[in-house]
Amino acid sequence: MWFKSRSAALGDFEQLVLLGVLRLDDEAYGAAIRQEIHARSARDVSINAVYTTLDRLESKGLLRSWVGEPTAQRGGRRRKFYALKPAGTAALRHAYHALQSMAAGLEGRLNAK
Amino acid sequence: MTHHPPALAVRLLRWRLPPEWQDFILGDLEEEFRLRADTSPAAARRWFWRQAIRCAAAPPKPNNATRPFHLVDRPGDPFMRAILSDIRHALRVFIRTPSYALAVAAVLALGIGANTAIFSIVNAVLLRPLPFEQPDRLVRVFHVPPQTTFPGMETFPLSPANFLDYQRESSSFEAMAAYNFRQLTLTGTGNAEALRVAVVGPDFFRIVRTQPTLGRTFVAEEYDPARAKVVVISEGFWRSHLGAAPDTVGRTLTFDGQTYTVVGVMPKRFSMNAWGATMVPMWAPLAWTDKDRTVRENHNYQGIARLKPGVDLAQAKSELQVISKRLEQAYPAENAGWGGTAIPLQELIVGDIRRSLLMLLAAVALVLLIACANVGNLILARSMNRRKEIAIRAVLGAGRRRVFQHLLVESLVLSIAGGAAGLLLAQIVISGGASLVANQVPRAEEASVDVRVLLFVLAASILTGILAGLVPALRAGRTDLNDTLKEGGRSDASGAGSLTRRALIVAEVALSLMLLMGAGVMIRSLQALRHVDAGFNPRSVLKMDLNLPDARYKEPAQRRAFYDALMDRLGALPRVQSAGWVDTLPVTGGGSVQPLVIEGRAELNPREQPTVSVRVASAGYMKTMEIPMLRGRDFRSGDEHALLVSASAAKLLWGDTDPVGRRATLPLISRTRTIEVVGVVGDVKEQLAEKAPPTVYYYMRDLPFGDASVALRTSADPESVARAAVAAVHAMDAQLPVQAVHSMDEVIEETLVNERFRALLLEAFAAAALMLASVGIYSVLSYLVRGRRREIGIRTALGARTSDVLRLVLLEGLKPALLGIAIGTAGALLAAGMLDKLVFGVKASDPLTLAVVAGALLLVSIAASLLPAWRATKLDPLTILRDS
Repeated sequence: MWFKSRSAALGDFEQLVLLGVLRLDDEAYGAAIRQEIHARSARDVSINAVYTTLDRLESKGLLRSWVGEPTAQRGGRRRKFYALKPAGTAALRHAYHALQSMAAGLEGRLNAK
Repeated sequence: MTHHPPALAVRLLRWRLPPEWQDFILGDLEEEFRLRADTSPAAARRWFWRQAIRCAAAPPKPNNATRPFHLVDRPGDPFMRAILSDIRHALRVFIRTPSYALAVAAVLALGIGANTAIFSIVNAVLLRPLPFEQPDRLVRVFHVPPQTTFPGMETFPLSPANFLDYQRESSSFEAMAAYNFRQLTLTGTGNAEALRVAVVGPDFFRIVRTQPTLGRTFVAEEYDPARAKVVVISEGFWRSHLGAAPDTVGRTLTFDGQTYTVVGVMPKRFSMNAWGATMVPMWAPLAWTDKDRTVRENHNYQGIARLKPGVDLAQAKSELQVISKRLEQAYPAENAGWGGTAIPLQELIVGDIRRSLLMLLAAVALVLLIACANVGNLILARSMNRRKEIAIRAVLGAGRRRVFQHLLVESLVLSIAGGAAGLLLAQIVISGGASLVANQVPRAEEASVDVRVLLFVLAASILTGILAGLVPALRAGRTDLNDTLKEGGRSDASGAGSLTRRALIVAEVALSLMLLMGAGVMIRSLQALRHVDAGFNPRSVLKMDLNLPDARYKEPAQRRAFYDALMDRLGALPRVQSAGWVDTLPVTGGGSVQPLVIEGRAELNPREQPTVSVRVASAGYMKTMEIPMLRGRDFRSGDEHALLVSASAAKLLWGDTDPVGRRATLPLISRTRTIEVVGVVGDVKEQLAEKAPPTVYYYMRDLPFGDASVALRTSADPESVARAAVAAVHAMDAQLPVQAVHSMDEVIEETLVNERFRALLLEAFAAAALMLASVGIYSVLSYLVRGRRREIGIRTALGARTSDVLRLVLLEGLKPALLGIAIGTAGALLAAGMLDKLVFGVKASDPLTLAVVAGALLLVSIAASLLPAWRATKLDPLTILRDS
């Protein structure tokens, strides 16, 4: 690309985390995102990797976060929820379109066993 | 029920995670943990640990660039930080003085390694459950034979009719099954091969609760004699004979000329060597005919059963006794005096070996204690040299507790390094040695490093570190700062610590004496067993086992003809002096025990009828084994039926009258045939450590069975005849498997493997102990001499002779050694009770052995003291006095 993209480039794992947040809507917190990634991509990542990435994405301005109420099934601890900021949505959309256009016409080969 | 995540893992996370993240991450993990714990708590705990370790290894790094750099507010509590710094410091010290660290770690590695190896066997044999579901509910069912006819025998196999009555009338068991073993000759897969097959009754597989990996076990119709030509094979047989073919089920095998269909393959873990019913290559259905089911007085079936939930062993036993009483009344002719009992399978498998293993574990623990004392000595010597360093630390504000902790951490670091090396050592010993003892110690082949062994190593290492480091650390904590700093770092051994050192020598010598005593007694017991007169001469005898398949040798006369011809052929071989055969050779175990009724006397009920070992033997057997003829004559090949009785059998059956020419019947073989006694022979032992049983040798014209052990007396090394002997068999029948071709000496040595194994290990432990103790005495004495240089110098200057100095130092070393010998003797006598059941022909407190061992230890102590004493005499008084 000859022009500088306004949205930040996303790493592979960052994309998975952002998609997880998007998918979980307002129920997006560490454990839920981890399980979502595990269930859909079969990557059994550690919780610390998820939080390191969430924190980085937040400091890049792609996510915002808030802290919930303590609950009993977490031993009385609080949750930290995340949601996409517009910049995050844009970055994700950009990455998705890039992948889509790169894969255009290759679906047959990519889906072949 | 609520599950909680492992507390230790939570603690680890708290320690490692940045505080601002703790709530969220711990909360997330606990939430998912609870979800997982609903399905499997164990898997959830493993998952939690994995997550915790990954978090702890790389804790999330918050990205806030604005966060200030902390100097003081480090995570973790101060105690952990101090320990970590102690560990770092210890490692630095050891890198600076590697020879010291290596010496200590090596001594501990040997001690911990030996302990780990023995423990891993104990673990496999005594602690690991049998590879069946709920193995503690499995019991073996037995008869208890009448003690008048089977003195000392606690259990006896079952007869079919009695078994069926037990099975029908008892309510303590979920199920009960009978089984026994048959020898089948496999043909059509290369060489003919004799296989021992377990023949198992209905419910056998249900009782052991093991499913086949392929196919199925037997169905009800297959217990019908007409349809019983099916087998379930072991994993090992499946691999070795069928190439692990996935389509094995449905294939056929030829046994004794008959076709059997494979219906299933059992899993590998089911083939446990310690239990006869599982160590076989295959299982066949036990198909009793209606006639078989009524047999009550012939006892040759084993019983296995599973206790019902909630029923305990005592209840089951008393129920079997009640049923037996009823059977005694209903069938007095067959059952008078016969009781019933149940014994846990685990107990039967482990039984005798438990005492032996625990003794070895205790012995090897003594070696570790001696190693601890040695290492304690080394650490003590070092900490004395470091008194100044320690004093300076104390002056700079390190409390007594801190110094204590520091020294203890040092010794722990060493002991854990030693433990790691020891684990490696043990692993090598186990992989090389487990197969050696596998035949002798049940389940020893399963010995391996598992979680329990790892925990044992960890515990042993920590305990060793504390034990070895405690005394020196306590001593160092008590150091008087003022004196130490004034002394200018000069170490003076006559003061602090020398009492402790002497105490360590006393302990080492005492423990070594106990080990030496154990080893000495074991060696003497082994010698006694080797020189037992078993009643026959095993030198220059070759033996081999044959089994004529029923299919090709149907007629008794055929079998007789085969063996007669074979004996002629073998007897004519070069270097063979004579040949004979018997159904069961002495010391190989097994053999039949039967009632014998003297002609003219009524057959008594089983409670009173005397029984004897019955051996079917050939003419020439007595001559070949050199069993002495005491009266009458040997069997002749022209005999129809004849008996030879052993001296003790003659005494038991005929008292003082001469039995030659008398007649008797063996009712289990034939009630109508009376057989003449033609001679009396010497007694032969069945087991080396036990009395010879009364035995009757039977020469029968028509052989009802086809298996025999052939013995050849040779004029050269028996092994040199082996090839020609096997060839002679194959010249008569190329299809006949020849098994277990050994010299009789080997057979006897084989029965002693257990004793040899114990003696060998104890010798090794005792040698290690002796070495450690002598090194200990030497190093302590050298140290003491160095500390008393001034005193010795002054004495020499004042005119003391070389011999005076020598005596002074020698006594210094010998006093604690003598005290150690005294204490060790007391200890050995106390421990003798533990050994007494394991030795033969010698008492565990044998005074001669004790004297030899104490003398040897005294000599070693003198030798270890000589070098330091000699060095003391070479001290130059001038140099010493000038130096100080």
